[in-house]
Amino acid sequence: MLISQRSKETIDACRFCWMCRHVCPIGNATGQERNTARARALTLSLVERGAAPLTDVIDNVYECALCGGCTNNCMTGWDPVKFTKEVRLEAIQNGEAPEYINKLLDNIEAAGNVYGITETAAEITNLISALPTQADTLLYLGTDVRCKNPAYAVDAAAVLQKAGVTFTVLKDEPDSGAALEFLAGEAEETRQTAEACAKVLGGYKKVIVLDPADAKIMKHEYREWDVAPDCEIVTFTKLLSGLIADGTLVPQKLPVKAAYQDAFALVRDLDEVEDPRVIMNACTNLTEMLLNRKEMIWGGNTLMTEYMPDVIRLVAKNRWANAAHIGAKLLVVASPSEYVALASVKPEDMELMSVPELVLASL
Amino acid sequence: MIHSDFTQTMILAELEDAVGRENCSVKPVDKLTHSVDYFWLPRMWADRGCIMPQADVVVSPKNAQETSKVLKIANYYKLPVTPWGGGGGTQGGALPVCGGILLDTKRMNEISDFNEQGMYIECGTGSIYKHIEWAANERGYATMHYPSSLTCSTVGGFLAHRGIGVVSTKYGKIDDMVLQMEVVLPNGDIIYTSPAPKHAAGPDLNQIFIGSEGTLGVITKAQMRIYAQPEERRFRGFLFHNMTDAFNAGRELLQKIKPSVMRLYDEAETASLIKKIVGVSKPGAFMNIAIEGVSEIVAVEEKILLETFAKYGAEDLGSEYGEKWWKEKITFFYPGHMMDLPQMFGTMDSIAPYDKIEKIYWAMKEAIETNFPMARFIAHFSHWYEWGAMIYDRFIVDEVPEDPHEALRLHNAIWNCGVRTAIANGGVVNDHHGVGMKLGRLMKEQYGPAMQVFEGIKKSLDPNGIMNPFKLGL
Repeated sequence: MLISQRSKETIDACRFCWMCRHVCPIGNATGQERNTARARALTLSLVERGAAPLTDVIDNVYECALCGGCTNNCMTGWDPVKFTKEVRLEAIQNGEAPEYINKLLDNIEAAGNVYGITETAAEITNLISALPTQADTLLYLGTDVRCKNPAYAVDAAAVLQKAGVTFTVLKDEPDSGAALEFLAGEAEETRQTAEACAKVLGGYKKVIVLDPADAKIMKHEYREWDVAPDCEIVTFTKLLSGLIADGTLVPQKLPVKAAYQDAFALVRDLDEVEDPRVIMNACTNLTEMLLNRKEMIWGGNTLMTEYMPDVIRLVAKNRWANAAHIGAKLLVVASPSEYVALASVKPEDMELMSVPELVLASL
Repeated sequence: MIHSDFTQTMILAELEDAVGRENCSVKPVDKLTHSVDYFWLPRMWADRGCIMPQADVVVSPKNAQETSKVLKIANYYKLPVTPWGGGGGTQGGALPVCGGILLDTKRMNEISDFNEQGMYIECGTGSIYKHIEWAANERGYATMHYPSSLTCSTVGGFLAHRGIGVVSTKYGKIDDMVLQMEVVLPNGDIIYTSPAPKHAAGPDLNQIFIGSEGTLGVITKAQMRIYAQPEERRFRGFLFHNMTDAFNAGRELLQKIKPSVMRLYDEAETASLIKKIVGVSKPGAFMNIAIEGVSEIVAVEEKILLETFAKYGAEDLGSEYGEKWWKEKITFFYPGHMMDLPQMFGTMDSIAPYDKIEKIYWAMKEAIETNFPMARFIAHFSHWYEWGAMIYDRFIVDEVPEDPHEALRLHNAIWNCGVRTAIANGGVVNDHHGVGMKLGRLMKEQYGPAMQVFEGIKKSLDPNGIMNPFKLGL
């Protein structure tokens, strides 16, 4: 396989090591041995040695959520996410990617988004028409919000308006490249998409990013690929925690025992662990789940729901169970994509809120 | 091995009917994944680009009822069934060397009862033990089963090979930690062991199945004990001039108190692993002790510990090294810290009373180093009793034959030599990793005519010999 030497070393290091299996959200949900970093590494090491074809194991490479739980757990510092992304690229370049992945890539080419949706949701259209067309600050919604969770955008915009933030939302928002990066890693198309997006973002002084997955690629990969725009990029939750901390927003605590679901891109990739807690503590009675912050267990997004919906539902059910264990009645999420997955299996006796929804309810 | 596509599909359809199609796989990725466990030989085999024997089908039942259906199908068609928990075993016990059905237990992971009154968690045996620990911690308890494989192995896996954790001296082995078990016999019958383990209602059924390594059935549910978290856990590191002093000190200490952690490292391991991970750089035999429980009692026990060890000339290294060891106790086993390919290595753990254990250590060391001069020998003693201790001795070979068949022969020759030396000096084939395929051939040498007891039970419960063939010497 044409993957980096570091990835080859990681594959050989991980192939006989199970130490991180307990933190894999997918493996915990399915109970399948293949859903471990070790299994992916073992099978890929056999591919590397010519003992098995990549096509035999490639589905399993796409069953990984790239949540970084294994990487976070590794005491030695190996990073299974890296080789997983590189092998995805290798498969696509060699025409060995699964058909359902090719279909998603085709959607991006045809419709500009991985879901193949061509029409803008009415909520988004209405929101944009009510906002100024020009502003120094851009609220970047992202593909998942626009296609799968427009209510998230409406609530976020309402919170910003209550805080007196002047901003705009683009009608023709460029794709951040997050979905491509998830599916194909550091492909040339991903870089080109990132570069095009960065050019647009560079026209603003500040960009508020709603989806942690978009923020992660903008703040990490854009820099690595030397296409980072000359503007301030801030996550919605970080901005919000600042607005609460400086007294711009003064929420009243809702009388409910709430748990917070850490978005993996926020805690593991962006190291934004405490900002959401500032929001949670201001708006409600936060009770931590046993596994929280960087140790939290969650993987999956709306993109994976396209090709393995049953598994993502199981992952979401497990997280609901974690919240129920501590007696929480409300689960709050900072990722629009995770909101969608959790909403699909919400227990009747518990409530689900997005961060913007919670703040709105508390003001 | 099922050769006919038609017959295989017919059987597959029956298995799918039993456990659901999505829980029944003939995909290459699932077969490959279950073909290599933590045993050095399959790892070497895969490292050389060779494919290990594979199951024909991987099934994942959800409970005893589904397991029962699978075993009935297997018995009818006389198909081998190899149970697989986490696959983290070192003895090849989970390898589907005869093909057939691989029965992965990890979907049996439900916690059905958290019983604070009875101080146990009832769970499916496919539960990862760390998940059970989390469940206990969430309510302020602990399982006190902390092996290095805590995060990767299942409840059933630990029961099947009689596992042990690092606080065993106080809390016991896995066989001390289980109350009642649900077991599916090879014929598909679902049975329950007695409601409590200590009784006079005949032999203890638990102890027939614990350590049976899936050769007598599948343990599907177990009530595992939980313990109150200790008020305090204090560590103390010591450096002994030699192993004899350390053994004498350890034996005397255990007549007075029961530490939780008690680990003695020989000079070679002190100078290698302990120096690297914990930072002890002086020559000697390092011993790490933890005492825990109610604070007042811990204080008294610490005093007894210091007085006892001082009699044997142990240098008190304070609490720092012990605390560091506790923090890093699992780090030892991450890649980069542990022996790994291309090295050849193995752990020949044995156990014996105090009158024999040191003799076994020196005899094994001499046997390995004399007969295999290319091998290094290191050891520690990590589980102690009032009457004896276990030896966790390892051999390491840096230059390994490139040809996998020759590497296998050398590996097995070293094992034969080491284990036969242990047996000849009063030891046992294994202490807590089990027998599996690795040591099955040595079971008859260990037990002699006593082996017929195991064989009789096997024949009675599994007349078609479907359960985990070529394991445990059965």
